[in-house]
Amino acid sequence: MNEPLGLQQQMSAAVSLRGISKLFDDVTAVDNVDLDIADGEFFALLGPSGCGKTTTLRMIAGLELPSAGSLQIFGEEVGSLPPNKRPVNTVFQNYALFPHMSVADNVAFGLRMRKVPKSEISTRVQEAISLVRMTGMEGRRPNQLSGGQQQRVALARALVNRPKVLLLDEPLAALDLKLRQEMQFELKQLQREVGITFVFVTHDQEEALALSDRIGVMNDGRLLQVGTPEEMYDAPVDRFVADFIGRSNFLKGVLESSDVVCLSNGQRINVPVVATVAVGDDVQVSLRPERVMICQLDAAPSGVAKLSGVVDTETFLGNSVVYRVALDWMTIEVETDHRPDVARHAVGEQVDVWWRDDAVAVVKP
Amino acid sequence: MSVGIAEAKRERSERRRGFLLALPSFAYMVLFFAVPLIIVLVYSFATRTSTGSTALSDWNLDAYRKLGEPIVRNVVVRSVILALVTTVICLVVAYPFAWFCAHQRPTIRNLLLIAVMIPFWTNFLVRNYAWRILLSNGGPISSFTEAIGLGETNILFTKTAVVIGLVYAYLPFMILPLYASIDRLDRRLIEAGRDLYGSGSQTFRRIVLPLTMPGVIAGSILVFVPSMGAYVTPELLGGGKETLLGSYIVTQFLTARNWPVGASLSFVLMAVMLVSTIVYFRSGGKNL
Repeated sequence: MNEPLGLQQQMSAAVSLRGISKLFDDVTAVDNVDLDIADGEFFALLGPSGCGKTTTLRMIAGLELPSAGSLQIFGEEVGSLPPNKRPVNTVFQNYALFPHMSVADNVAFGLRMRKVPKSEISTRVQEAISLVRMTGMEGRRPNQLSGGQQQRVALARALVNRPKVLLLDEPLAALDLKLRQEMQFELKQLQREVGITFVFVTHDQEEALALSDRIGVMNDGRLLQVGTPEEMYDAPVDRFVADFIGRSNFLKGVLESSDVVCLSNGQRINVPVVATVAVGDDVQVSLRPERVMICQLDAAPSGVAKLSGVVDTETFLGNSVVYRVALDWMTIEVETDHRPDVARHAVGEQVDVWWRDDAVAVVKP
Repeated sequence: MSVGIAEAKRERSERRRGFLLALPSFAYMVLFFAVPLIIVLVYSFATRTSTGSTALSDWNLDAYRKLGEPIVRNVVVRSVILALVTTVICLVVAYPFAWFCAHQRPTIRNLLLIAVMIPFWTNFLVRNYAWRILLSNGGPISSFTEAIGLGETNILFTKTAVVIGLVYAYLPFMILPLYASIDRLDRRLIEAGRDLYGSGSQTFRRIVLPLTMPGVIAGSILVFVPSMGAYVTPELLGGGKETLLGSYIVTQFLTARNWPVGASLSFVLMAVMLVSTIVYFRSGGKNL
């Protein structure tokens, strides 16, 4: 725990994928994914449905075998092992609790399969059930439990085995909004308590941002970017990532040098130094609506990037106001705080929009 | 108040309509199942006269006492064993097939299930005669085993032939309920079993089998019951060498002209089957 993070990651990646691909018939579900997940990390695989995130998780679980590549768990090659030979457990979407068994029997299942002594089974089952606050429900059948309770039993059933990695497939998707928010909090706390590496799959970007230490965004079977929630939001490298996590304006242009983009209206703007795109390539500049300022025409401070346009629509959202400003070559969305000291702009008003050089991220189109 | 009355009225009229719709099948069952069953029951308490006719007087339990005799007991034991063997073979053959069906694409699955039912398009007697030809000395099966060097097979008129015929006849009754319960099984439960360190066979025993048990039991009843009372197949393929329940009852009615014994045996057989079926459906309801 006290080792420097870089070293720790290198020495003991909990899960390590190298060139992992999965083909179903001729369809590539997962395409050459490289990924290291550190020990003790809460890692989210985020993406739209059909992006390959669940298939990736199932390959780690052993429920699918990779078509190519190497898959290691704590340094041990497991790519071809069946699920029962891997030190991981899964919390399934919709939980997959055994309907013909009580809560206690569900939780004890993994320990019984591994021939753990009976006395130890009952203590560990009790511990796991109290960990998820289900004490007193041991005798119930899954169909007598609410969604949130089933979720907890599924967690206990997995955690009781003390897996090295816990895999969660859309664990909160089946719950209603309020319960989902409660369970998010509980899940995060539970992970801190048990200290096990959690890898979870979700299509909900807010859930990923709120829960995880790091996020990997997938689309079309490819892993586009991996980083902390802040990195993913502030410095997306791909248009898809910028668009999927939060909202963004995309300004087309060409990267002229490592920190200058020539926008398609001919204007040059300074950008944070770009390493992911070659100079001369087409790029898009991602500009978050809340990082764009709006002001009266020619009132922008000097030395910042600015564009002039006309307010096209104005939408009041309570805590904020969203303007759509029509330029002659595109429309830009601007989100301002709704406060007495922030001036409002009327539809049809001539305005300037401006931003600081470090407010943008250059992404691959 | 008036709303309540109107509601009660409508409820009553709906119930009456439901009753009217059910009436034809209800009447049919009463007329052709319940009434004959009662007649059988009545005859089982009657007396056989010395001339071989049945006197509907002197009600007694002689016919039931006769069921305890060794001859009848042997017939029952033999029939139960035969029906059990048939049921077990059907189960072992049908389970993998039903499993395979349930895991195919819908078109292939439907084709397979139609294939299971195609034999029903041909008359049962005709199919039994077909087996007689297939199994006969010098018939196709015998010639085949001889050709591959296993020598002639003389299966016809043996217990084996009867079992083959019964398995063939009742296999679909095992496959269909098994297929239905396997198809209903959530495959993620199998994955969960494997994920929780269960081997393939452990997962089958602890998860798959208990959850498909309703299909296993329903199929077993559907095969066991008609196998117990089978008459045509043992006669045609077994040559009537060993008396089974079906032929024993027929003999009592037609040859021995002892209607009370035939009736009592029929009634007991029916009652045992009925009670065990009811017990199963009562207990099965809880698990599902």
